[in-house]
Amino acid sequence: MLMVAGLIATQPLAVRSQTVGSLEPRLGQTLVTLHQAESAGATPSEIEALVALLNKALELDNEALKLNAPDQAQRRIGLLAQVEQILTTVENRTTELIAVASQRSFNDRVLTYVGGAIAAVLGTISYAFTVSFYRKYRIKRTFQMRVTRK
Amino acid sequence: MSFMSSQNRRTLIAVFITLLVVCEMVVYVATTPRPREQFFQLYVLGAKHMAADYYPNNDTDIRIGEPVTWYLGVTDNMGSVQLISIRVKIANQTIKPPDDMQALESPAPVVTEYMRFIQDNETWETPLVWSISDAVSVAGSTRILTLLINNETYQLQDCSAINGHNFRLIFELWTYQTHNDTFQFGWVTNSEHRVAWLQVWFNMTSARPAGG
Repeated sequence: MLMVAGLIATQPLAVRSQTVGSLEPRLGQTLVTLHQAESAGATPSEIEALVALLNKALELDNEALKLNAPDQAQRRIGLLAQVEQILTTVENRTTELIAVASQRSFNDRVLTYVGGAIAAVLGTISYAFTVSFYRKYRIKRTFQMRVTRK
Repeated sequence: MSFMSSQNRRTLIAVFITLLVVCEMVVYVATTPRPREQFFQLYVLGAKHMAADYYPNNDTDIRIGEPVTWYLGVTDNMGSVQLISIRVKIANQTIKPPDDMQALESPAPVVTEYMRFIQDNETWETPLVWSISDAVSVAGSTRILTLLINNETYQLQDCSAINGHNFRLIFELWTYQTHNDTFQFGWVTNSEHRVAWLQVWFNMTSARPAGG
């Protein structure tokens, strides 16, 4: 009896698992463009809006997968159309974001390096004035010196 | 008469070049992102949002229809947006858990999965309210037939354990790999394959007798 129970208990478990959506390659492409936007310098708040849309698409796709009855076909088609629309919107916005973010990053970088150059110029001017004042001070001190007999 | 002597001019040019190099190096260091460790965190919390109270009345023996509340969460520290999937699997004592060393998933069957896009430094958390809807006892072996997870019913086949002891729910973190368009168990960082998974054990000793 125990052996039978043991055999039942040790056999592989079979579960009817939930089907994964057929969106994966499309989501992968969107993920790649999102990574490009992040590399281009998109801010977390800009990415957040796109991620929220993508999660909405996942929810709708999940909902569509559950509609298997023939009378739910129309609703399923409607949901999948919404998913498609959201993904297209995200792709378009991501492409725009890549252009805007890379231009902004380039401008920021140029400004920062120019700032470095300006700092170097100011440093040099400060150095020149300091040296100049020091020399004038030394000359003044030299003329103020008194010669005393020892 | 020149503004300054040629020696002074040379000195100033040398000072300017030195300062320029130093300032631009400071700018470069300040604006270049530092490499950081890339990882995910996966957690399961109990009903009170703590790493405790995983079972109703602190009794690991779950009864039919008794709801169990957990919180399942993932934190993305990969430095970029990630598409993740948490796969919920059910296993008994004999089925292998995931292998950390080989980065292999558990052969236990998938009950359900949760897919989500998460941003860098974002934590995504979802409540996981589950209960055993139906289970039978056959010759000393308890078989769970249906699980209810977040108000959705999942049919299980041949999910059994001796006397209903040592069932477990396994949570595996999978990530989407853009280079081959598939989900992979764990993630790759610095050419190293890492995995994150959790398991929570439970018993189910109050199944109805078969045919009852």
